[in-house]
Amino acid sequence: MESLLSGQLLFAALVLGGLYALIALGLNLVYGTMRLLNIAHGDLLMIGGYGAFWCFTLTGISPLLGLPIIAAITAGIGIALYFLLFRNQLSSGKPIPQIEANSLLLFFGVSVVTQNVIALAFSATPRAYRYLDDVYHIGQVAMTGNRIATLLISLACLISIILILNRTMFGMSIKALIQNRDAARVVGINVERVQLTSIALGFGVASVAGGLVSMAEQISPFMGFPFTIASFVVIIMGGLGNVFGGILAGFLLAFIEIYAVALTSANMRSILLYGIFVAVLILRPQGLLGKARQS
Amino acid sequence: MLKKIAQGLALAAALSLPTAVQAADTLKIGYSIAKTGLFSQAAPSQVNAYDLWAEQVNAAGGLDVAGVKHPIELVWYDDESDPVKSAQIYERLISDDKVDLLLAPWGTPHHLNVAGVVEQHGFPMVGNTAGSVAIREVEPGNIWFPTAVLPDRIGPALADMLAAHGVKSVSIIANVLPFSQENLQFLVPALEKANIEIKMNESYPPDIKDMTPLLTQMKSADADAVIALTYPSDAFLYTGQAKELGIKTPYQFLLIGPTIAAYKDAFGPVADGIITLGHWTPKQKDWPRAQPFFDAYVAKYGSAPDYLDSALAYMSCEILQQAVAKAGLDHDKLREVISNDTFDTINGPVKFKGVENIITPSAFLQIQKGDMELVWPKSIATADLIKR
Amino acid sequence: MTKASMTHTPIPAIAATLIGAILIVSLSIFMGSYWTVVALNLFMWIALTQSWSLFSGMTGYISLGHVVAYGIGAYLVATTFKIIPLWLSIPLGGLAAGVFALIVAIPVLRVRGPYFVILTFGLAELVKFILLYTETTFGKSSRLLFGAPKTETLLYWVAALAVVATLITYFVGRSRFGKGLAAVREDETAAETVGVPVTRLKVLAFAASAVIPGMVGGLMTMRSTYFDVLQVFNPTISFSIVTMAIIGGAGDARGPILGALFMLGLAELLWSTAPQLYFILLGLFLIGFVLFAPNGMIGLIKRRKRSSAGVAS
Repeated sequence: MESLLSGQLLFAALVLGGLYALIALGLNLVYGTMRLLNIAHGDLLMIGGYGAFWCFTLTGISPLLGLPIIAAITAGIGIALYFLLFRNQLSSGKPIPQIEANSLLLFFGVSVVTQNVIALAFSATPRAYRYLDDVYHIGQVAMTGNRIATLLISLACLISIILILNRTMFGMSIKALIQNRDAARVVGINVERVQLTSIALGFGVASVAGGLVSMAEQISPFMGFPFTIASFVVIIMGGLGNVFGGILAGFLLAFIEIYAVALTSANMRSILLYGIFVAVLILRPQGLLGKARQS
Repeated sequence: MLKKIAQGLALAAALSLPTAVQAADTLKIGYSIAKTGLFSQAAPSQVNAYDLWAEQVNAAGGLDVAGVKHPIELVWYDDESDPVKSAQIYERLISDDKVDLLLAPWGTPHHLNVAGVVEQHGFPMVGNTAGSVAIREVEPGNIWFPTAVLPDRIGPALADMLAAHGVKSVSIIANVLPFSQENLQFLVPALEKANIEIKMNESYPPDIKDMTPLLTQMKSADADAVIALTYPSDAFLYTGQAKELGIKTPYQFLLIGPTIAAYKDAFGPVADGIITLGHWTPKQKDWPRAQPFFDAYVAKYGSAPDYLDSALAYMSCEILQQAVAKAGLDHDKLREVISNDTFDTINGPVKFKGVENIITPSAFLQIQKGDMELVWPKSIATADLIKR
Repeated sequence: MTKASMTHTPIPAIAATLIGAILIVSLSIFMGSYWTVVALNLFMWIALTQSWSLFSGMTGYISLGHVVAYGIGAYLVATTFKIIPLWLSIPLGGLAAGVFALIVAIPVLRVRGPYFVILTFGLAELVKFILLYTETTFGKSSRLLFGAPKTETLLYWVAALAVVATLITYFVGRSRFGKGLAAVREDETAAETVGVPVTRLKVLAFAASAVIPGMVGGLMTMRSTYFDVLQVFNPTISFSIVTMAIIGGAGDARGPILGALFMLGLAELLWSTAPQLYFILLGLFLIGFVLFAPNGMIGLIKRRKRSSAGVAS
């Protein structure tokens, strides 16, 4: 029982929580501003993972230094998809449920294409590399270098995005769009520009998370789906489009994963995770911090 | 409306039938593989072995069919990791594509489903990557399994090996997926019989993302050996986090994972001393075909073969090749030869009784200085088991 | 449903469904074992998508967890195989799925929109992991099912279920019940104020839409000699159902049939001719379809009818 108080579990929960929060953040931005249900989200992580892998194995450049380039590439993919697939959908004045349903299908197509193009290019063989895998000890807590880096970079990304959203004019307009589309347009916000930035930011952040994941896990073309699911669970639990709620839910789920498993057994892990998710939604149908939906 | 659709369907069916005429003497060899879906990560190690074999056969002038050489061509379809689709594909390969020979799909469920099809058509097929006691329930005669990774043989062998090295207690963690659980089922009684104490026995779901709580518990249990009944992705998770937590148990066994090339890429020297399941290594000098296969594979693909799946896949090709050289393509003769002859493979001699390979023993590999050494049983070992 | 079709007698629709099904069944058996399996898959998807559309298509509550009904039915049939005869265990599988839906309906149906979508997904995963846990605890990680009925037999049963599911969707669409569900889709709050028993209708439709998938799951698990929980609770099944339903088009019993035919036809054409590119092409088709036919195949048909009617007048 004294192990419950150990810093080791806390460290594990923080690393996992930071990652969940970061993965979900990108999805939340895209959903919040455009109501697009991006089920290709996990595949962006996969792209980020491959980017980091090739960057490191081909050039020897630290995958961490490669992250900004990878983020820029996926942001570009996001912008391209916006113009190719979603711009017309969004300006067509269709009811939101139909935009959601159509975007689900469009992204399903994108996901299938992405996975299989990568599989065709690099084969489905799992890949892995070694980077920052020394273990450091601080007091009683053992920490692998790449897990420290994961924690620090996710926290840095989370904090800077929160600051952008809360402190800059531009961030304010993203938030305004999330809260009320029509009102945002009325007060003179350039909706198109905000949407473009959100999709670029959302896609970019996802691939950064993928780069971080690749330092500690094997990567393969079909690795994305579980991450897609995890990020949906997180943002739904936190309240769709509620950036802060998503971050809270990400850490909450990670703490459940670590501490609830420590208290019960590892075999209960997925039952607890999905059980708590279902229970939260039944008790609070709009998520933890979500507001009732305007129709 | 529906009538029209039914007609359309028939038309589509007619269109999609194979129309390309093959060169008269080229033999078609068909298989299905999990190119996409749940098992897609496992597919390349098997497909690579098939492709390498086909390339080697063609380079040598073709497949020897009772004295006459024919070039070969592999025909494959994606079964999307669906065992039922796999069976459907073998139906198609046999009835529509009229292939001359068959190679096996990947995995136990696929083999079991395809077994029904080859049985029905009386079409002999040498299996490979199935590891379950369930294969013994398959009607013998048209399918054979060269594998030695059968859970009821692995459990006792593992207990014997550990007991022989003075292990008195173990901690077990097991994935809930079928292969791990089947092994667990046979392992626990074997350990009890060998008087090895089980200090911890926990299962975990396949989508586990962090093992810190589990491994903390394992560390405080402080057993002489760790048995982690893993699948590949949790083998990676275990190794990384066990290293972080400083688990220095001298004997650490991981079920599936360490034979994959990426495992060594991920852990380098940390992988040293890890024990895993496998009965083949190029280091065994009694098997002269082993090292050339390894070298050819590395030359073609730039990475080592999977010691389990690639080796098994290649073995099944060798058996088929030798049987066809003697018996030709006639199904009855082929069945007769595969059932009764002894074959010379990269894994040494193989002989079947019923569906099972009765020569190759259940064996274990250990990563030693980056190489895969066979450490158990003594009869085929290439090195001694060492403490980590 | 357009006004015109409401006044039509249902006889032609019933006849067309039956004749179509009998035609496909006999044609596929005539064409050999490979096509029998293709037809079996086709009817499975029609039955599943049609049942999904009975609830989700009519109410607009998109369920991404319909595999849970399929899985419960399959699990019940597989675990009682050779203990309970199939003629009993398969309906029991359907019943179990229906009862499960009924139990969870009231709390789950309070949740709306995308929250409902992911909640249903999570619920299916929860049931999957609970059953996985149970199987592990009893030392049963996988099961072998030798001696299952022949593919042809399964085909008759699944085809019959597909016909029943189609007719149910068709008749519910024409009934007061169906109009009530459509009112939920248009504006649930407004429907409630004018006295539509919203909750009762939703719960009934939700439970009803689980019964046939439960039976289909039980039947389909018989086509494989190998059973494990992960296979029958594969979330891809839920995704495929939703895809076929949207491709087909909502609000019409022909939609799910067209969606299933289109997706399976496309797959049959592509997977054997271009195994390397199969999924890439499939994904591209999907994207193109949503962009150019956002209202599904039913939308395309209606548009063509309208425009040809316009030319005629």
